[in-house]
Amino acid sequence: MRWFGFGFNAFQQIKTLKNPENSGLDAEERLSSPTELKGHVNRDGRCFEFSQIRASWSRRASLHSDDAGCVCVAGFVNDSCRGVIKQSRGCRDVFISESHLTLAFLDRVECWDLQSSDDTPSWTMGIDTQSKSSAAVNLPLVPGGYIASKPPFFHSLSPHMQAKSLALGGEHVILLTATGAVYTWGQGSHGQLGHGGLLPEEEPRTVEALWGMKMSSVSAGGWHSVCISDAGDLYVWGWNESGQLGLPSQRLRKTSEKKTDQQEGELSQNSSTHQEEVFISIQAFPALFDVTPLCEVKTVSCGSRHTAAVTTSGDLYTWGWGEYGQLGHQSFSSSDEPQRVEFFRAQQLRVVGVVCGPWNTFAAVANEEGLAPEHPTKPLNKHGE
Amino acid sequence: MSSLGSKILSTLPADEEQFPLQFSDKVEPSVVEVLRRCRKQLYGNAACASRRLNAQIILDVSWERLNTGTWRHVDKEWRRVYSYGCLFKVAALCRENPSQQEILEAVRTCDMGLLMGAAIMDDILQVLVRILQNEISETSKDKEKSVEVVAKKLKTEGPRSPSIREEKAVPRIKCPSLESFSTNYLLPLKPVILEGIIDHWPALNNHPWSIEYLRSVAGFRTVPVEVGSRYTDESWSQTLLTVNEFIDRYILDEISPDGGTSRGYLAQHQLFDQIPELKEDIRIPDYCCLGEGDEDDITINAWFGPAGTVSPLHQDPQQNFLAQVVGSKYIRLFSPEDTDKLYPHQSQLLHNTSQVEVENPNAELFPEFSKAPYLECVLEPGDVLFIPVKHWHYVRSLQVSFSVSFWWS
Repeated sequence: MRWFGFGFNAFQQIKTLKNPENSGLDAEERLSSPTELKGHVNRDGRCFEFSQIRASWSRRASLHSDDAGCVCVAGFVNDSCRGVIKQSRGCRDVFISESHLTLAFLDRVECWDLQSSDDTPSWTMGIDTQSKSSAAVNLPLVPGGYIASKPPFFHSLSPHMQAKSLALGGEHVILLTATGAVYTWGQGSHGQLGHGGLLPEEEPRTVEALWGMKMSSVSAGGWHSVCISDAGDLYVWGWNESGQLGLPSQRLRKTSEKKTDQQEGELSQNSSTHQEEVFISIQAFPALFDVTPLCEVKTVSCGSRHTAAVTTSGDLYTWGWGEYGQLGHQSFSSSDEPQRVEFFRAQQLRVVGVVCGPWNTFAAVANEEGLAPEHPTKPLNKHGE
Repeated sequence: MSSLGSKILSTLPADEEQFPLQFSDKVEPSVVEVLRRCRKQLYGNAACASRRLNAQIILDVSWERLNTGTWRHVDKEWRRVYSYGCLFKVAALCRENPSQQEILEAVRTCDMGLLMGAAIMDDILQVLVRILQNEISETSKDKEKSVEVVAKKLKTEGPRSPSIREEKAVPRIKCPSLESFSTNYLLPLKPVILEGIIDHWPALNNHPWSIEYLRSVAGFRTVPVEVGSRYTDESWSQTLLTVNEFIDRYILDEISPDGGTSRGYLAQHQLFDQIPELKEDIRIPDYCCLGEGDEDDITINAWFGPAGTVSPLHQDPQQNFLAQVVGSKYIRLFSPEDTDKLYPHQSQLLHNTSQVEVENPNAELFPEFSKAPYLECVLEPGDVLFIPVKHWHYVRSLQVSFSVSFWWS
């Protein structure tokens, strides 16, 4: 797989500066167009591709399963951390937060403090390799619970939950069970729990609106949640201040109005001339969201305030906050409507996966060519209309 | 560098080494790294776009933290970071021959830091906003004036100026001694209107608060405005406007974006912390010294709006002096002893607010309400209403009104 990244790059976590002394080039601090990530070159000079990427605000961790499972960290790292992390050989899964790097091995999980130069992890947990559940390491899920972004790391989960995958949002958690049910807990003041209100939940609570529909994956952003059903439908809920839910956002329209006014050299004194449009700032219940009526959603990932989805036809769609280029449309505007990232079509590349950092996006692209037939990119309507 | 740019730099430490960037470890090293880049660029020669971008990164990352958790629990360090972002953005905007547009944006940026951030470097954002206000050219001000000339009428509503029945009237007393106020009203927690105690305020004398005066002192300053008929309504929201925009849109008849059905209210805002020039026009009532707290513990709020603004019936956890400066307000008061007849909301968020619409009560849903005894008054300029702690109060403005409240304990 090849990987392309776009968005926030102020720490060179996507693309390194040719001349680091030249701080005048802000063009490199945010990338609005997909840029290919260089593969990892090991000591023998062989080049390996990344099998997995995870990103925090200032860093990017990549896992190379082919090269004895080692992990590299790019971005805001001191020299001792640059390149391969020696202690990562044999790693099977990786997770990164702003403060810690979590490595999952066959027999243990380790959390490393990214700011210290210690030789040992700040926390470690053994895995019982004999038990059945040892296969179920899907970070941040671990046998018996999950690993949080900062201490205390381990949080237990009841085995009755049959947790299959879990995503950590800015201040909430979303869980998918083996039976396709979705649970959420944490803060709820922006509707991100999907229970219809704004109250927090201390314990996992089932998202009743999705009851009866089997979900196949879940994702969480700063203040929003997304999941995909078995049938390939997308459900969104939470905060929509930058259009990250793909619903009409008033804040977005007002900001773009102000920008056009400034360009015309006028103070913003206009009264709104919109027709009776309903804006949604907070969506407290899951809403069915049509990315494109033409095909199903295969995988989705959420950044802090944006969302990216890959369709079964190999296209990548993005929407939400775009001020750092994280939507990949060669601009720095935000959008409350999904738009296809044309770069991949133009290069005849088939997108097969996507992972978002808080302010950037990483797309995995298949090596072979050959795509589904071209689809037109008219503005897409939502909610299955 | 422009002369404004030099003026701004002269308010800052002489060089990078003397510019403080100290934070607790709540602020991640990666964020401190960007702050250091901003500081370096401040004293260096980087391109404008790069300075602005680095300042924006600080604003965006701290904005996200300010929106995480409840406001009360936001770590003060992140509010400081946000203020630094504002500082660096202002410096970037004003460095090279800023346009009027950029100067106004810099004023707005200072206000965002004053509203959402925490004071840094001896409240430097206050220092900067004062410098910037002097740079707002006469042409910008004239533009505002031409709008005003066209806009004539203040929004007048309120034919419904209620007549106050004598037996229900809040008692009035002129300049009582501290002792008599304490004995007759404070200790027994009885409402009263104090007359003559703010006659000396500059706001009522040599700096009378008129629309023109407010524009001249604060026209380009950004303030929070509540939009919607009352805060218990579903469509109620808050927005940020300059004082000029607020006056044009919600006080004067001139611009009504939606046929004039929605109201805007500059309500419950500590305007006098944000705009110290206005604080000089008022005084803290002497009677506040009867309380237990310090002067610093007194919360002073501004309430400025058109006729017809309504504060639904609610109670506050502190004593309140409500001083009327401009226009008049109708106020009805209920004792906390009669709370059982006032049907407070059950929710945590609104449990200090009654469900009843005082001037249009639903007798079927709220049968006991009509039995609740009350006092009422029309508060005029120069009056100060003492609202005892936890006393329920309902307020409707009868004209364009400006009140100042003092919450003390």
